[in-house]
Amino acid sequence: MPEVVVSIGPHHPALKEPVNFRVIADGEKIVRLELDLSYNHRGVEKAAEQRDFIRVLPLMERVCGICSHSHSTAFAKGIEEIMQLEIPPRAQYIRTIIAELERMHSHLLWLGVAAHLIGFNTLFMWTWRDREAVQDTLEEMSGNRVHYGMNEVGGVRRDLTPEQLNAALARLPALEERVNKYVVMVNEEETMLIRFRGVGRLSKEEALRYGTVGPTARASGIDYDVRKDDPYLAYKDAPWNVVTDTHGDVYGRTRVRVWELQESLRIVRFCLENLPEGPIRVPAPKNAPKGEILSRYEAPRGELAHFIRTNGTDKVERVDIRTPTLANWTSVAMCLVNQNIADIPVIVAAIDPCLSCTSRITLLDNHTKKAGIISFDELVRRYRSRNPEDVQP
Amino acid sequence: MIDPLYGLLYIFIFPGFLFLFLYALFLAFLDRRIAARMQQRVGPPFFQPFADFIKMLGKEVIDPAGVDRAIFDAAPLVALAAVMTAFLYVPVTGNSPLAFQGDLVVVLYLLSLPTIVLFLLGWLSRNIFSAIGGIRAVTQLFIYEVPFFLALLTPALMAGTWSISEIVVWQQKNLWFIFLQPIGFIVALIGLQAKLERTPFDIPEAETEIVAGPWTELTGRRLAIMDLTIDISLVVGSALVAALFLGGPLIPWTVTPSWLGGVIGFFLFLIKTLAVLLVLSSIKVATGRIRIDQLNDIGWKYIASASIVQVGIVLVMNYLWVYA
Amino acid sequence: MTGPLTLDMVAGKMKEFGVSEQVRNNRIRITTTPEKVHDTIRTVQAMFGFDRLITISAVDNTMTLELVYHLTGPHRMVVSIAVGLPRELPAIATVSDILPPAAIYERQIHDLFGIMFRGHPGLARIVLNEDWPDNEYPLRKDWKPNPDTFYGGIKGERS
Repeated sequence: MPEVVVSIGPHHPALKEPVNFRVIADGEKIVRLELDLSYNHRGVEKAAEQRDFIRVLPLMERVCGICSHSHSTAFAKGIEEIMQLEIPPRAQYIRTIIAELERMHSHLLWLGVAAHLIGFNTLFMWTWRDREAVQDTLEEMSGNRVHYGMNEVGGVRRDLTPEQLNAALARLPALEERVNKYVVMVNEEETMLIRFRGVGRLSKEEALRYGTVGPTARASGIDYDVRKDDPYLAYKDAPWNVVTDTHGDVYGRTRVRVWELQESLRIVRFCLENLPEGPIRVPAPKNAPKGEILSRYEAPRGELAHFIRTNGTDKVERVDIRTPTLANWTSVAMCLVNQNIADIPVIVAAIDPCLSCTSRITLLDNHTKKAGIISFDELVRRYRSRNPEDVQP
Repeated sequence: MIDPLYGLLYIFIFPGFLFLFLYALFLAFLDRRIAARMQQRVGPPFFQPFADFIKMLGKEVIDPAGVDRAIFDAAPLVALAAVMTAFLYVPVTGNSPLAFQGDLVVVLYLLSLPTIVLFLLGWLSRNIFSAIGGIRAVTQLFIYEVPFFLALLTPALMAGTWSISEIVVWQQKNLWFIFLQPIGFIVALIGLQAKLERTPFDIPEAETEIVAGPWTELTGRRLAIMDLTIDISLVVGSALVAALFLGGPLIPWTVTPSWLGGVIGFFLFLIKTLAVLLVLSSIKVATGRIRIDQLNDIGWKYIASASIVQVGIVLVMNYLWVYA
Repeated sequence: MTGPLTLDMVAGKMKEFGVSEQVRNNRIRITTTPEKVHDTIRTVQAMFGFDRLITISAVDNTMTLELVYHLTGPHRMVVSIAVGLPRELPAIATVSDILPPAAIYERQIHDLFGIMFRGHPGLARIVLNEDWPDNEYPLRKDWKPNPDTFYGGIKGERS
């Protein structure tokens, strides 16, 4: 029996990045979902094999705009571990500061986008305006709002001057106050609650089984956080907690992200106030010894895994990037069935997809029903037959 | 019978079409400015809606393949004509010279026409997003029309007349209906927000879900005219609520000379419609969009029952009034 | 199972499947053969609680194609199960029946390396664009783009 195919994408106001959802719908309920995410493949992994360690870091950074520092840090710390280099504490703290600032700007951006998707433009305007405080800090420290270029193998490339530290510390109290207000808002604002609660629910078992990572998994009660499981940089020293929630729906994911904003503020403040003195880099050898490493990093969207293999030269043999968004697509496809069309943007946005990070994947359903476009008469007739109370007597 | 010249002036200049056009653009600007200030942005300059209208008139009209061009051209004009006509019966400076018994019902019907036109356009656009948007528009219409009509008919029940101008006169002698029927006032405001398809009820044109719903294939002068229709509906709706609940352009005592009364009435009209706009804009800014099935829930459970309760109260009060 | 796992605990149990070694303070690497991968994963899931798949990495070792399955569990240790596949006809059984997220990673690896996963629910073209020519696996070491082949996009736009 033919069903209605609503094609959302690759150009659609709901999506910030090109992706194509072919939604097989029955009225407003989704029956099946066909994902086609093949619009952004750039061959980064192949290109990385031809660049030495100085040139490959800017390439790694440009895998994604919003989580650029994640990729370059994951790669740099992987190579440093293969080379058995210990980078100085000041470099670690600076990397942590940039990493947490990046997490904050990513979460604030996500909050605005989620609000925009449910038509709540006021919160969208407010969060993006507060995000400017973070972006100003990043620009002062690194010279750019994204793609910071702070990392090199062996440490960081730029130091932080006392003026920059003081300016950053001065911006934090106002930001903290706004974030506290957002925490209250997420828990009490009626239209947000109505649109987010119960939507896209993933139980703890389902989340584990589908391999979800990041805030999506932590909203279902799973407390995996690479910063605590496999500590790196300054996360051992800074006082912070892993944030989990038990709701498992979009509401839970929103709560996890705003609480993580508060935790990030604490980490940034601690690192800014306790920045150790010392050098910011150690000299790194040109070639890396033969070795293999799985470098894991907690990007704003979840766990990022760089599998790096070196062969004794100054280039990597292979870098295999598994981004958090790729890991979360299975859960999206699974939890979209039997939801409303109106909730697609919200559920997809709840995993905070970064398609620039994701290579391309397509996920097809196992059923082999054919789908086709039906005429408008049939559409209206089928809608009316399912919703008799909407028909005027 | 009114003097033909006076009639023509009333209809076309003031307070007819020209005034309506300018006031609609002014209210659209105010709406955007208030929303922007609440969102801590700057907002557009005062002539922005006028500039948008002129610009859109000059843009290319794109016809999707296989679409009936004649209806696509005519439908927005029909919607515009309907709301402009509806304004003629709303009192602006005093009683409307075109008033007659039952003009309240006519105005309510004319205000529903733009939604029907949107459904027609959504159906005809040969586009799945427009079809879904059109269906949502009429679904929303079915949900809010019942409570909206009931809330606007309770003033008529209490005043004992079906003419808007006479209801206004009744309020001048007695009390504004906002004090006598507060529930009805709130239901009327909610219904007005839903009729104008503003957040939280902008479901049919939910930009992030179905592109622009039935508005998707409107371009050029068609879009300009439909936009103008919505802006004018805002004016007509606010003026209607102001007339039925806030006493319209009449003050509780008579003023001589009569032309001064007209001028004062006009200013009152402006103030009252601006007050209604302020409330509507605040609602628009402070909420997100709800889903159509949630609107179904809320609409029938709470809003419709509130309006029925209001009707019941009015009937009881009428009975007591007559026998007390 | 909670608490730190040691190499001895794992090596003893996994001896039948392959050689184990500790490559990092929290990562253990087991080398095994393609036929035993399925059972190896099932055993580490059941016996040691490695219930989450981090990723499946694929490397071209010039002589073989190597697949590494990384799993972790509540005890926060990571186990990497490595197998080598011959270059000519690399094929292995799918693990997406016991680990659902593997479906995505296996499809991506199939597209880029040409490894066949037997029993996979749907191994169609996914990572590369629809008009990419067949039998060209870009991430293999011996692959170079052929200037005469059309790799997708708009024909005739390059001079």
